[in-house]
Amino acid sequence: MISCTEFIPAYSELFRYLEEKGGREEVQRFWEYLSDNFLGNLRELVEEHGLRGCWMYWSHTLNEEAADFTMELDEDAGEFSITMHRCPSKGMLLELEQMEPYHDYCAHCDTLYRRVLEPLGFEYIFDDSGCDEARCRLVVRERERDD
Amino acid sequence: MAKEVMHREASDNEYMHKDFHGALSSALIYLEERFGPESVREYLRGFATKYYAPLREEIAERGLEAIADRLRRVYEAEGADVCMKLSDDELIVTVEACPAITHMRANNYAVSPMWEETLRSVNEGICEGSAFEFELLDFDELTGASTGRFSRREDTASDEEGSE
Repeated sequence: MISCTEFIPAYSELFRYLEEKGGREEVQRFWEYLSDNFLGNLRELVEEHGLRGCWMYWSHTLNEEAADFTMELDEDAGEFSITMHRCPSKGMLLELEQMEPYHDYCAHCDTLYRRVLEPLGFEYIFDDSGCDEARCRLVVRERERDD
Repeated sequence: MAKEVMHREASDNEYMHKDFHGALSSALIYLEERFGPESVREYLRGFATKYYAPLREEIAERGLEAIADRLRRVYEAEGADVCMKLSDDELIVTVEACPAITHMRANNYAVSPMWEETLRSVNEGICEGSAFEFELLDFDELTGASTGRFSRREDTASDEEGSE
């Protein structure tokens, strides 16, 4: 059995396997498939609760993943954000001695959530410039608040 | 409405996100549909030989006890009942219900028709190049209840007997 605590290395190796099979496009295709078929809970929460649905979704996942993060919800400003001080997934991959992380591992967080949130009327901004140190930041903003 | 802020450090929570089982299941479904069933086995075996490299080194030193210790840790953490019968040459592992399948069915995640490969192919990968082999004796698709057998390969058993 692969424990859920061992999933992240399996995930990273899957990306590598898919890239060997069909190039980077194949990895992208899988991320889009996963977004469409696995993130129904995020989609439903945001459809029902709006921006607060993001808060509800990530409150659950980030606590179960024992992440080191700051999450903010400002409904008046129409903005939700996560500042990941230490991503448990990328952090784990960086510490493994027996395998290298997939070279573009963090890009899945851009595709998976953008694909759910943009069609629901939100702007999705993902800054992965600190991903080599397991840090990132994402912002979800209501589009109608732009003007 | 006031701004809400949540701050957590890693030490504030236990690392146990069972929804990851659903993501792995989705991955296996994708692989099977796009590249065929052999790709599921190839991917899982490849992952196992690489990721469990430290365990495989331990097996070379401690034999089946190393596998039993790992399984005990995994199933305890996942909250599942496991029964193990261990001898020098054989380890029989019986699981009442796969905790991953239990979680996926309770949360309406699609369960890959090839989920049993997370036992068969993974354990074959762990045993690759060792004195032991794995055989999945029984697997219930609905609950994931299973019985598996790790045993000493016949060729290595005869080698050891011959060397005595």
